[in-house]
Amino acid sequence: MEIRISHLHKRYFSEGKTITALSDVDLVIPANRIFTLLGPSGCGKTTLLRSIVGLESPDSGEIAIGDEIVFSQEKGIFVPPEKRGLGMVFQTYAIWPHMNVFDNVAYPLQARNEPAEEIARKVEKTLRFVQLEGFEKRPATKLSGGQQQRVALARALVAEPRVILFDEPLSNLDAKLREETRKELRAFLTKLQITAVYVTHDRIEALSLSDSIAVMKEGRIVEIGTPKEIYFDSDQRFVADFIGRTNLIEGQVKASAPPCTIVETTIGEIACANKSGAAVGQKAAVSVRPEFIRVVPGDRPPERNVFRGRVESLVFVGDAYEGEVRIGDTLMVVRVEPTVRVAEGNEVSLFFEPGHCSVLSR
Amino acid sequence: MGSRRTILTPSLIAIVGFLTVCPVVMLLFGSFSSGLDAFGTFTLEKYVTSYTDPAFAHILVNTAVFTLGSAVVATFLALFLAYLNTRTNIPFKFLFRVISIIPMMIPHILFAVSWVLLLNPTNGLINLYLKQLFNIQGALFNIYTLPGMILVEGLLDLPIAYLIVAPAMAAFDVSLEESSKVCGASNLSTLRRVTLPILRPAILAAFTLVIIRSLASFAVPSVIGMPGRIYVLATHIYRIVSTGFATDYGVAAAVGMSVLAASVTLIYLYRHLTSEGEKYVTISSRGYRPTVIDLKGARIPLFGAVGVLSFILIVLPVIVLFYASLLPYSMVPSAKAFSLMSLKNWTAVIHDPISLLSLKNSLFLGVAGATLGVILSVFVSYVIVKVRTRAAGVLESLSFLSFSFPGIVIGVGFMWLFVRTPLYATIWALLIGYIATYLPYGIRPLSSAFVQIHSHLEESSRVCGGGTLYTMRRIIVPLLIPGIVSGWILMATMFVRELSISVVLSRPGTEVLAVQILRFAEDGLWGKLSALGILMIFFSTALVIMATLIGARLSKVEN
Repeated sequence: MEIRISHLHKRYFSEGKTITALSDVDLVIPANRIFTLLGPSGCGKTTLLRSIVGLESPDSGEIAIGDEIVFSQEKGIFVPPEKRGLGMVFQTYAIWPHMNVFDNVAYPLQARNEPAEEIARKVEKTLRFVQLEGFEKRPATKLSGGQQQRVALARALVAEPRVILFDEPLSNLDAKLREETRKELRAFLTKLQITAVYVTHDRIEALSLSDSIAVMKEGRIVEIGTPKEIYFDSDQRFVADFIGRTNLIEGQVKASAPPCTIVETTIGEIACANKSGAAVGQKAAVSVRPEFIRVVPGDRPPERNVFRGRVESLVFVGDAYEGEVRIGDTLMVVRVEPTVRVAEGNEVSLFFEPGHCSVLSR
Repeated sequence: MGSRRTILTPSLIAIVGFLTVCPVVMLLFGSFSSGLDAFGTFTLEKYVTSYTDPAFAHILVNTAVFTLGSAVVATFLALFLAYLNTRTNIPFKFLFRVISIIPMMIPHILFAVSWVLLLNPTNGLINLYLKQLFNIQGALFNIYTLPGMILVEGLLDLPIAYLIVAPAMAAFDVSLEESSKVCGASNLSTLRRVTLPILRPAILAAFTLVIIRSLASFAVPSVIGMPGRIYVLATHIYRIVSTGFATDYGVAAAVGMSVLAASVTLIYLYRHLTSEGEKYVTISSRGYRPTVIDLKGARIPLFGAVGVLSFILIVLPVIVLFYASLLPYSMVPSAKAFSLMSLKNWTAVIHDPISLLSLKNSLFLGVAGATLGVILSVFVSYVIVKVRTRAAGVLESLSFLSFSFPGIVIGVGFMWLFVRTPLYATIWALLIGYIATYLPYGIRPLSSAFVQIHSHLEESSRVCGGGTLYTMRRIIVPLLIPGIVSGWILMATMFVRELSISVVLSRPGTEVLAVQILRFAEDGLWGKLSALGILMIFFSTALVIMATLIGARLSKVEN
């Protein structure tokens, strides 16, 4: 079900200071997609999620889930969380320690007074779905972190909610388990075809799980797009920097030569192929990610987007070398394939496709 | 929601403030007032009288020796036990948990009495036995001395010292010791140069807490000290307010002020030490088990010592009381003694109207007091843990204030508060005094229960479709029940045995068990005393079992 959010504002007062958690948020979350709110801590993503669920009451604006308005300051509507028919997985899982797995999962159905045999049937089906069949009678707190996570997911799903929401559900797992659970979650959600809103500060999680991502900063949504669009095509420094490691090369837009934009930078002219609204003469930076820079020993014929530099440092990190190459006063971070024969102090040529360079004008 | 909360905190501050600050203020005013009205004519006479009393210096010395001595005994034994338990391969480690918990179940006055029954110079069982054995005149041991008091008080405060020292010792980062050994130090010099200095804050904290408790202690000084004419501050105050001819609450308040000041200072020191301790004791993040020291040949003798200690702490007092309750007068176990055994003392107690009244009063105070106290604690803990405004911080310090109040001193404060009100000499005066003084016993378990209820647990119930009441019934109350039960048990057992406030506030008609036991002790009626004492243990154990069963029925928390 689609979620429409308009002009949402929320401020907190804490220790005499006013903190703006949400500032004029306008957003449409499409139905049956995995939608991620991504941003650094304190950007307002959790407040937005909690406002959708009904655990926070915004200062102004409107939230509609499907055709139903669940919050509207103007119309004086506030539907309490228990009446919104949603499912949520909390960061701490919020597994009730005094209940076993069955009762934890059955709780939403029991709260709706469904008949016992119906409850038993649905709980069994849901536990099978999350691969926890046979765990019904176990005390919920005796499960491992990953299993508790699946109990929380089962509980959120069992009542067939209109939307399921996740508040950093993987952040309490260790690195290896997090990766497995992420894949599992992706598989579950794809199978379900349900609207999912997912909050995280982890860019890998966001990129690998989502159909679309909204990047948030200081209470505002700064960019919305598919993972690929966010990764490659953003024209904002904040987004390009936050979503992954990159080289930001300062410069000025020199010419527009469709399909490319030419930027005069500190290392020379760079041709960028991404769509950009930057006008000629405007100050801008070019973003090139280390993994898309090709490093070749020695000289190469001068060509578009080829630069010469000297290897300052080279560190072996397992699947590749991580290096720094100095071009004039600019230090570029690069990834070098282990098969390429370069060493510290060598003269090398760097090359990157225009398609991998983006102009950051905001 | 918002407006309800804003009323809740101030009204709780008012209630708790009344309970904890009022008696102190009244004590202060009372000490400066002549006559029985706290706001009467201002006078310094009470301070002059009490502090120029020629006996006062001697009492101060006694108090210092008694408190420091008890602290040395309790801390040393606690260290010994904690070290054996956490760091060595001594067998039957469950015994250490027993030692740290069970002695708290035995009321201090009965523990003191059982030592009197064993070691008093005229007919103490051990003295009688030794007399027979070696055919000597006179007693070998006399419990009615300062060393006797120190020994008994030290044993009584051992559990509390152990509960502070043992966790610190268990959390100790063993690599600190290992590196000392790598540097070439022996086990003993590692203990002396590394282990003990690092544990110093915990050891000092235990030491300070025992000083605070023995300063407030009334059972041992009254049952053991007074017959030997050894007075400490607590019994000195008692003598001023209870001996018929020279009762002067003004002088009692004047003495009480300095006891209170000492106690509050020590509590601050204790707080400082425990926060210092957190800085010091490093909990190793990599779940290393401490290396266990092999006791080898000393394993069995050391275990023997622990066994004897737990026998002395737990079994002996009950056996001695039970034995004494069956005999007409004190005698060594023998064929003659067994032939003389009867239930006479028990029937005498059951037919004694004052004993029955005291039993009834104490049970009422235990049940009603603990119930009211726990209800108040629920609200106070809720505000302390969940509301967390600045006002909530004020409430927190207010509610833990009474932790530092010596019972007899605060009893005198309440005396001043109630003396001109209709509450004076009623059971409600006792009830209010009890709740005020023992409020921390209810708040501790309940605030940890509230801490356990993470806000997500509530919120997730709301999202799952549970309304406010449904969430309350299915999530919050069941999770609170264990805290409520342990708070209730702690308060009820403290109230059933309460002595030091009661000796001041209890009047004819409002006798309570411990006071009645003290009267029996003063009159030397050991048989009746023992019977009533056993009844006291029986009823407080019954309350504990009842509360546990009800709690288990109300919540099915799996641990």
